[in-house]
Amino acid sequence: MSALTFSLKQELIQKLDVSPITPDKLSDKNIGEISATLLWYGKQQLRADNFFLISGLDTQNIVFDNCSAKVDYIGNGMKTGRIIVNGNAGAFLAFQLQKGEVTLNGNAADFAACAMAGGLLLVNGNVGDYLGGALVGDRKGMRGGTVIVKGNAGERTGDQMRRGLILIEGNVGSYCGSRMLAGTIGVLGDVDDYIGYGMKRGTLLLTKTPKLHATIQDCGTHTLPFLSLMFKSFRNLPSKFSKINQNRVQRFAGDVGNDGKGEILVLQ
Amino acid sequence: MLIKLSGGRVYDPAHQIDGKVLDIYIRDGRIVSRPRDDETIDQTYNLSGKVVMAGAIDMHTHIGGGKVNIARMMLPEDHRADPSHHSALCRSGCGHAAPSTFTTGYRYAEMGYTAAFEPALSPVNARQSHLEMGDTPIIDKGGYAMIGSDDFFLRMLAAKKDQNAINDYVAWIMHASQAIGIKVVNPGGINAFKFNQRALDLDEQNVHYQVTPREVLKALSRAVHELGVPHPLHVHGNNLGVPGNMETTLKTMGASEGYPLHLTHIQFHSYGTEGDRKFSSGAAAIAEALNKNKNISADVGQILFNQTVTASGDNMRQFANSTLGSPRKSVIMDIECDSGCGVVPFKYKDQNFVNALQWAIGLEIFLLTDDPWRIFLTTDHPNGAPFTSYPHLIKLLMDRTFRNEMFAKLNLDAQAMSTLASIDREYSLYDIAIMTRAGAAKLVGLHDRGHLGVGAGADITVYTDNADREKMFAKPDYVFKDGELVVKDGHVVKVTWGHTHTVKPDFDKAIEKDIKQYFDKYHTMNMENFKVSNDEIAEGGRGGIAVQACEGRREKSL
Repeated sequence: MSALTFSLKQELIQKLDVSPITPDKLSDKNIGEISATLLWYGKQQLRADNFFLISGLDTQNIVFDNCSAKVDYIGNGMKTGRIIVNGNAGAFLAFQLQKGEVTLNGNAADFAACAMAGGLLLVNGNVGDYLGGALVGDRKGMRGGTVIVKGNAGERTGDQMRRGLILIEGNVGSYCGSRMLAGTIGVLGDVDDYIGYGMKRGTLLLTKTPKLHATIQDCGTHTLPFLSLMFKSFRNLPSKFSKINQNRVQRFAGDVGNDGKGEILVLQ
Repeated sequence: MLIKLSGGRVYDPAHQIDGKVLDIYIRDGRIVSRPRDDETIDQTYNLSGKVVMAGAIDMHTHIGGGKVNIARMMLPEDHRADPSHHSALCRSGCGHAAPSTFTTGYRYAEMGYTAAFEPALSPVNARQSHLEMGDTPIIDKGGYAMIGSDDFFLRMLAAKKDQNAINDYVAWIMHASQAIGIKVVNPGGINAFKFNQRALDLDEQNVHYQVTPREVLKALSRAVHELGVPHPLHVHGNNLGVPGNMETTLKTMGASEGYPLHLTHIQFHSYGTEGDRKFSSGAAAIAEALNKNKNISADVGQILFNQTVTASGDNMRQFANSTLGSPRKSVIMDIECDSGCGVVPFKYKDQNFVNALQWAIGLEIFLLTDDPWRIFLTTDHPNGAPFTSYPHLIKLLMDRTFRNEMFAKLNLDAQAMSTLASIDREYSLYDIAIMTRAGAAKLVGLHDRGHLGVGAGADITVYTDNADREKMFAKPDYVFKDGELVVKDGHVVKVTWGHTHTVKPDFDKAIEKDIKQYFDKYHTMNMENFKVSNDEIAEGGRGGIAVQACEGRREKSL
């Protein structure tokens, strides 16, 4: 069975909210019903076939072709199945994702993996600010699952993150891991200023010593056996992190201004 | 434009009309007497078989001011979960426990309410409250200025200033904050909290000012009475929510020494300490005292089971409750060194012993208090439940079978502690019309509202009689606001702007000299900026000030 494919017909002027298009919400629908799904476009609700050429039958495998940064909420609250996005994605990619896989072959805007609870988000490109953050007004960000970014991430990556794993192969903007409550963020590239700002607990894994602000304290060099176990668990992930096997790190603790139980580990 | 409402069954307790079939005529927003035969009637509504009442009045509901806004900001999940989309007429909004201003107005009107009063209008924050209420469409509104813990007043009391000076200050506050009443919250307690007192009983002194809540109550209730303000002093007593606080409440009733008092959300102040869990119903004793003391009135502040948020000026009690909130977050703060504020979200559950008993205590007070003119239907929105649950509450009061069914679902220990199932009383439509219309208008001092007599503002609600009272009161057939049809079949058909009701008691302007000195020395703003003018409220064509006469107050009982 061929994947259910939504090919964007024209350039969008307003933001388009595609939250009703997920494998679990479409699982028992026929092509007519799927075409008639109402989507918010700016302040109007319009049928899905106004925007997309729809083909294919397998609702468990959804593909967005020719996608643009105006398409928000891809994979919203998804519980099963798989979504592949070819092109760019808008804000709130994989918002509250619970299970299943979302793959993006392009760049994502802000708030990717916002309030994500489980599953896998793979981005073959860059992401904007607030990756794995909290919904505005909420006090807890990403709660579980794995996010892999092949490119760069913006500012406030992992803001208020509560649990889960974010692995970034490129660079990250300032305030990485700000107000983080728990969870793990790995970065292979550079990080900007104020890493771990207001961090309460959690682990930031880096390969280069970053510029640190005053309330992050150096704790010396350590051999941490748990790192071997952690890297072993990365073996099957589609990421450069799967190749790392090292447990000698320099450890920094912080943010002392907020409990200071978080750690920044720099691989030696 | 002459409108005839023909053949409806009218409930107008202010004129002792109990279900009589009558025609009502409306001209230019007012109810008029029967026109001459040669006058043409422009529009007739055939209401035969329908129930006709004045528009309902909510005399205690938190719909404006800093604390409501804090509740809105603190509960994004409440807003996300309950969006209301815009329509051709109405603006969009959201919120179940703390709805946005426009949504508040629409929802009230769609339930047949045409007036609502914000009971905790902090004078220093009055402009914010009036701006929010200015964004609340259709309904009339007004506020009770919250004093009694402000430093200027406590200084006066500590200095044993003459009662006339206190009267002048109270009147000045009412003018400056455009209020229709005076409210006191945890008398002196908001201030005592700032001097590290964590509890304050009626006869306990504020450590800084050496004044007791009893002195505050006496001075303010007397001031309100002597100024001729129709609404008695609106009292949120000490020890809210504390087991055993019924003793404080009973003593509070005597504290005004005969001057009228209105005890608000009395359910939260009617707890005993009997039983294994040291928490019991004080409803019987409270209701008996209410029946006996004719100078006391009360509204219930019924709780209903659901998620809501408690918003109060009582920082002392809210601080104590802040660990019990759900979801667990809270804001307890000072307002401009002059007042306080505490916001704690709450989820009342029917399987929780305390919540279940609170529910039963509220209903016991409703049913054991004899005089519906002195007990009012509120949930202390949003503290006990959002105002949108009023139809459900009315059904609980009017339908004993339904009430007992609901009671049977409660926590069993709570059932064992309550006498609710043995109370047979059912409220009639006439009683409901008293509680929510005639009585409320009389209590607040709205002389031209809450009744259907000639000259009254044409705020009229028309229902289809239905044995299921929840359905009946949730969706009126027609609601007229100042003679205009604003709601049809439970949906807004026209958006109008209501009045802001105030009173303007006379006072000696010389008091301003002292107040100005105080402002210049201590306050965060200039005295002239503190005052809210009539023009500010009328700005933008959204209603204006309606000044109610300082008369019709209840007599002092001595």
